[in-house]
Amino acid sequence: MYIVIAGAGRVGLVLAKKLKEDKHQVCLIDKNSKLCDTLAKELKKILIISGDATYPDILKEAKIGKADVLVSATSCDEDNIIICNLAKDLFGIRRAVAIVNDPKHLPLYKYMEVDNPVDSTSIIARIVEEEASFTDVMTLLSIKKGRLSIVRVDIPQDSPVVNKSLQEISLPPNSVLVSILRGVDIIVPSGTTRIFPGDEVIAATLIDVEKDLIKALIGKI
Amino acid sequence: MKYIVIVGCGKIGKELAVQLSKTENVVMVDKDLEALNSLGDDFNGKKIWGDALDMNTLNAAGIKEANSVFLITGNDNLNLVVGKVVKRKYEIKEVSLLVNDDVKRQTFQEEGLTIVNRTNLMVGVLKRSIT
Repeated sequence: MYIVIAGAGRVGLVLAKKLKEDKHQVCLIDKNSKLCDTLAKELKKILIISGDATYPDILKEAKIGKADVLVSATSCDEDNIIICNLAKDLFGIRRAVAIVNDPKHLPLYKYMEVDNPVDSTSIIARIVEEEASFTDVMTLLSIKKGRLSIVRVDIPQDSPVVNKSLQEISLPPNSVLVSILRGVDIIVPSGTTRIFPGDEVIAATLIDVEKDLIKALIGKI
Repeated sequence: MKYIVIVGCGKIGKELAVQLSKTENVVMVDKDLEALNSLGDDFNGKKIWGDALDMNTLNAAGIKEANSVFLITGNDNLNLVVGKVVKRKYEIKEVSLLVNDDVKRQTFQEEGLTIVNRTNLMVGVLKRSIT
């Protein structure tokens, strides 16, 4: 695939290198001409363009019309929005992905019809929250505009499911246990798998029965 | 009295705010506190200190009630994004913005947006002076 990345900051640069390793064609655009000179020497196989990607001329120079994907990863949210809009309206790009630097700016991406905004700050905050394990229940992922969630539930001593096998446990409809994490082991459960205190259960659930699922697993909410 | 929101307290913004605030209800939004303070006593309106890309700032400026919105920061892309969003979300009748790049001006032109290009404007004025 041919991928154009606007913004050679941390995200843009790491992504460009990764995509190049995976044998994609990559073009990286950045406003900072000094940085571009350095990068051009260092990354011989990546096309580096020095210029402001919010100008159509620069996008044209990057042959955006031939790109399969555009990733806008500059540190300026208004620039990311404009770059995605230009790529779509002027060059008919099929897929445009943009980094959201400040979560407060996310609504603007939606109003400006940027299809795939990636709210990096919120994602990192969620990972930190997950790593720090502040709570027994953690939403790991929500899909289809939040209708389906993947949750992680820590099983406490007094849970109603402790020492029971899965076939003895009744879970709400539209929810399913995906995996049990026990120490370093990752178990894909079957009907005879038993749940023990301290297990971390990964479950997929529709949002309307999420509370029932959590209640079934830990006994309270 | 009309309710007018101006984003961008630069040279043009300041002059516009001072003049309009004599007869209209004016709110000035800028992320730079010093710029807001420099408006002085001639400005008879409200000041909001904040990031115009944050909906909370726009709401604090009472954007919903605005008859006109002016986006005249030095940042073309910000003016365009905020201009289009307030037009779409709040259906403000008159939204005027500064965009100094002509290709962008043409690309993002839509009904109800007055996009002003400083260079075009100056050239127009100067050309008229020779007829």
